[in-house]
Amino acid sequence: MDWKRTREPADAWHMTDDLHVEHGKGDPFAAAIRATRMSMIITDPRRPDNPIVFANDAFLRLTGYERHEVLGKNCRFLQGPKTDKEAVGQIRTAIEDKADVSVDILNYRKDGSTFWNALYISPVSNDKGEVQFFFASQLDVSDRKRSEHRITADKDRFEKAVKERTAELEAALEAQTTLLHEVDHRVKNNLQMISSLIIMQRRTIKDEATRHSLTTMLERIEALSTVHRRLYQSKDVSRFDVSDFAKDLVTDLLTASGRSGIKPKLELDPIVISAEKATPVALMVNELVTNALKHAFKEGSDGTTAGRIGIKMSQPDGHFNIEVSDDGVGMAEANGDASFGMRLIKSLARQLHADIEWRDAGPGTKVVISMPNEPQQKGLSHD
Amino acid sequence: MTDPLKVLIVEDEALLAMELESLVEEAGHSVVGWATSSAEARSMVESTDADIAFVDIHLTDGPTGVDVAHYIGEKKRSMVVFMTANPKRIPDHFAGAIGVIAKPYTMNGLTSALRYLQEGVRRPPPVSTRPAGFTLSPAFEAVWAPAA
Ligand SMILES: Cc1cc2nc3c(=O)[nH]c(=O)nc-3n(C[C@H](O)[C@H](O)[C@H](O)COP(=O)(O)O)c2cc1C
Ligand SMILES: Nc1ncnc2c1ncn2[C@@H]1O[C@H](COP(=O)(O)OP(=O)(O)O)[C@@H](O)[C@H]1O
Ligand SMILES: [Mg+2]
Repeated sequence: MDWKRTREPADAWHMTDDLHVEHGKGDPFAAAIRATRMSMIITDPRRPDNPIVFANDAFLRLTGYERHEVLGKNCRFLQGPKTDKEAVGQIRTAIEDKADVSVDILNYRKDGSTFWNALYISPVSNDKGEVQFFFASQLDVSDRKRSEHRITADKDRFEKAVKERTAELEAALEAQTTLLHEVDHRVKNNLQMISSLIIMQRRTIKDEATRHSLTTMLERIEALSTVHRRLYQSKDVSRFDVSDFAKDLVTDLLTASGRSGIKPKLELDPIVISAEKATPVALMVNELVTNALKHAFKEGSDGTTAGRIGIKMSQPDGHFNIEVSDDGVGMAEANGDASFGMRLIKSLARQLHADIEWRDAGPGTKVVISMPNEPQQKGLSHD
Repeated sequence: MTDPLKVLIVEDEALLAMELESLVEEAGHSVVGWATSSAEARSMVESTDADIAFVDIHLTDGPTGVDVAHYIGEKKRSMVVFMTANPKRIPDHFAGAIGVIAKPYTMNGLTSALRYLQEGVRRPPPVSTRPAGFTLSPAFEAVWAPAA
């Protein structure tokens, strides 16, 4: 509707109400506004306090007032104690500025009940730009407001619940991490104590064979210690870098043997295995390397031993391969099928679903192990 | 031959302290004291003239090993090496310590560490290779093992 084009006198609307239907008769706009279900009113800003000069039936139905009760009054009678002062202020400013305004405001009916009013007010000016009327429409949006409130309440409740749950989980995780560190700390300390006990006991023993047994036992425990030291160094405690471990183990065993003539040859691709495989793999490698150190090399005439111990680790496909080799005397003379070391190696291989094979490397021995392993992350492998 | 080291042991676990003492002595060094708490450690720092202190992080009075290292560092009496099963507790700056021997160490790992430390303390930088399980602090890494 283009109100600005109207040629009617300034109080035409007033007359429309006052003079009943006659004046608006034949005016299709006036008829439409009277009959529409949308609540509409007009105020006259040139009268004191900008009173209502026209109200349609829908407005009266919405507010519960009679027409004579509203005509000549400023609309603020619809407001009450719970009406937002800020919304009122917003309307006041817009009216002072002669600007459009659209606000949701809580209003009161004649019977005291409240409703949410989606109020839209706009000034109507004449050709000279002077404001002649204010036109307003009111829409009861209580239902929408209620569901809006419900949604906000639901959202708040939900957010609060999520926050509480997150805090609980964080606390649980922290407790678990602390516990893991504590357990890890104890396992390591206990391993250290076990080795210490063996070393101290060994000092008291004169018998060569018994001392030898204790040394083998110490080597096995120390292999486990090295696993544990390495296991919790990484960020991910469920993965174990077996190549780093092998390097530590071989260097340690070689220097401990004091035989500087035996040189290590390490070809170690970085390979990661799951933590539960770490111990059996470590024990197996320990047995093979200590065997090579103990049995493969004969003392030369000058009292020293020379030779080479090789360890190769690679995973060209889905199988993790370990090769432990030496260039010593070979195993042709060995009859150790029933010995504990061999049995241990074979049982560990079974546990790991590994194939294990002793080959004559002429000179020396090459032990080849192959076991299924999870795919390695790209960029880690050397080949 | 370089002079042997005088070692102060700060460790709450008697068994480990005992064994460490034997290993230190077998390697030709001497143990000048054993403290189990931070208070004991402080007074021993005053009363002994240790070259090096092996300090566990967890002592009888709690996780006070780092404080002990700070104290020794201020007194400038001796050098410090942490010896712990919980290396993650060591602050990034290592409280001035040389480094850490992670538990559980192997017998050979400790003997090698003693040799390495003897070289480092008596005639730095050390010439033997750094043993597995021994980590240098960033400050000592820069001086003892600068990247080639
Ligand atoms: C055309 C028109 C319609 C209005 N309709 C409403 C209404 O439905 N509900 C309401 O709370 N205020 C309504 N107002 C606002 C009040 O009349 C008044 O302008 C407002 O309360 C700010 O002024 P005040 O601070 O003097 O009260 C309307 C104002 C105009 C000009
Ligand atoms: N790399 C090797 N070179 C030569 N002989 C070996 C090698 N590995 C094992 N053997 C022989 O196999 C035997 C069985 O080994 P093992 O079961 O580990 O027992 P142990 O090491 O206690 O003698 C050894 O006694 C040795 O004779
Ligand atoms: Mg064997």
